[in-house]
Amino acid sequence: MTTADDTQLAMQGTIEALTTGDGSEPVVVNLGPQHPSTHGVFRLKVTLDGEIVQDAEMRIGYLHRSMEKLAEERTYTQNIPFTDRIDYLAAMSNNLAYCLAAEELLGVEVPPRANAIRVMFAELQRVASHAMANGTFINDCGAWHTPLFHMFRDRERVLDMFEMTCGARLTTNYMRIGGVAFDLPDELLPTLEQFLADMPENIANYEALLLENEILHARARGIGLISPEMAINSSLSGPVLRATGVPWDLRKANPYCGYEDYEFDVPVGEQGDCFDRFLVRMAEVKESLKILRQVVDTLPDGPWLADVPLHARPDPGESYARVESPRGELGFYLVSDGGPAPYRFHCRPPSLINLTALKEMSIGGTLADAIVTLGSIDIVVGEIDR
Amino acid sequence: MTVQYDASAAMEIVNASAPGAACVDGGILFLEPDRLVEAIQALRDSEESDLIFLSNLTAVDQELHFEIVYHLQSLDLNHILQIKARVTDREDPALPSLTGLFHGAHLQEREVYDLFGIRFEGHPDLRRMFLWDGFPGYPLRKDFLQMPGQVRAGLPGFPHESEENAWPVPGSVPQRPMHPNDPQPEGELVVAEEGEESS
Repeated sequence: MTTADDTQLAMQGTIEALTTGDGSEPVVVNLGPQHPSTHGVFRLKVTLDGEIVQDAEMRIGYLHRSMEKLAEERTYTQNIPFTDRIDYLAAMSNNLAYCLAAEELLGVEVPPRANAIRVMFAELQRVASHAMANGTFINDCGAWHTPLFHMFRDRERVLDMFEMTCGARLTTNYMRIGGVAFDLPDELLPTLEQFLADMPENIANYEALLLENEILHARARGIGLISPEMAINSSLSGPVLRATGVPWDLRKANPYCGYEDYEFDVPVGEQGDCFDRFLVRMAEVKESLKILRQVVDTLPDGPWLADVPLHARPDPGESYARVESPRGELGFYLVSDGGPAPYRFHCRPPSLINLTALKEMSIGGTLADAIVTLGSIDIVVGEIDR
Repeated sequence: MTVQYDASAAMEIVNASAPGAACVDGGILFLEPDRLVEAIQALRDSEESDLIFLSNLTAVDQELHFEIVYHLQSLDLNHILQIKARVTDREDPALPSLTGLFHGAHLQEREVYDLFGIRFEGHPDLRRMFLWDGFPGYPLRKDFLQMPGQVRAGLPGFPHESEENAWPVPGSVPQRPMHPNDPQPEGELVVAEEGEESS
């Protein structure tokens, strides 16, 4: 897809090359919108000098569904399915963040069992999402689907658990304002126990397969570097920020849903390169399994949904609630004017904001490194465009 | 637990370096749009506030003015501060850009420009992001379009389609055709007098 300004840029390059006499000219390459490396409908326009990236510019909006506008016309409960579709690889986390914002606005107290179930599904979602992220990242590094499908096997089991609980696998629509939609089915806990029993061996297998892999090291070590100061200044969050060594995790910093009751560590990287992001995600899966173990052991009884009217009308005001989604800091900013629908519905999308530094990470590297860097950020285009 | 940073403490920090740039209304810090960069730089660089992480940047159309909302976070001291700035000009709303202070403001300001039409002066690459160049109007404004079944009034169609869809005068209530379910307009019912009937 060549646009007028692409042509102009190429022309400029030709003129420069002719006038400076070094005989070379920059080449503009469009990665995407449909490209295996872009994880969705996303276009990265890179300007290349030989194989070195001189400029990287992203063009987005192919998946813009005007969610924020649509949500202004629907009631607070009707908006929950939208949040599934914002980040379709972490629907539970999105449900949770939106419900927390709505609960803050309505002043709802969530029952303890609902909180434990929410933590359980948010962590299961993290396992599934990181399996997807790491699997596709290794594909971008040159593996041919073997690690991806190993990890998909685990993700599949998580999705099966979602299905038996709420009937849906991807767009779960499970959380409600004041709790969760259904109690856990009888068959869930045995399945989860089996999953928790199998996962340590699976992870050990992945680590044996990948951590010493020379190709992975060659492709990902020292690629896509970013410093902690630059990461904070660019508002990066999630594994991309933690890979630079900043231990910022909202589950620790601002515990919600009773995360303060569970013991877990915040894994951080050392150098802030693509390999560190991969390692951080791998370690986070282990921490999630630790949290899941504690949730299963201490699961309280009681109601799973507080008594909240379906057509709740909060008082005029605003709320900003954030959770640590698999991709980073996911926030919902709601403004109420006292009506049945939010006056303003804004999602702080970690995928979009993590892309702020993509240009800085890619410039100076090769085109193949830019693809690895993009894969390591773990974007979901539904969340970028909304 | 992240605590809300005290707005009046933040006001003191701002007013120490930029007198009169901040005021507190209802527990929320409001900044003068003209001196926004100066004020937020004071909050970022002060050791007491240490607000080095721009968590969120968005806008709200409050019909008479735009409210630009910033959430700034301190990672070491673990507090968050909500800051607002008001822009009253609906024809050509503009505000200084924070990209010089926070690289993370880049895409968020572009998003606000795309969907609200608020210009951020000094932004290095202020273009539409989700929508294409030449898209008529700014969809997240409250007076954008009248969607079927929508609660709030808006334009009946895209502005470029016909004259009747032209943008309303700022401040006026957007008009739309009457719907049978609409409440009857208040005021006197005008009854045609006898003898005035058309023949």
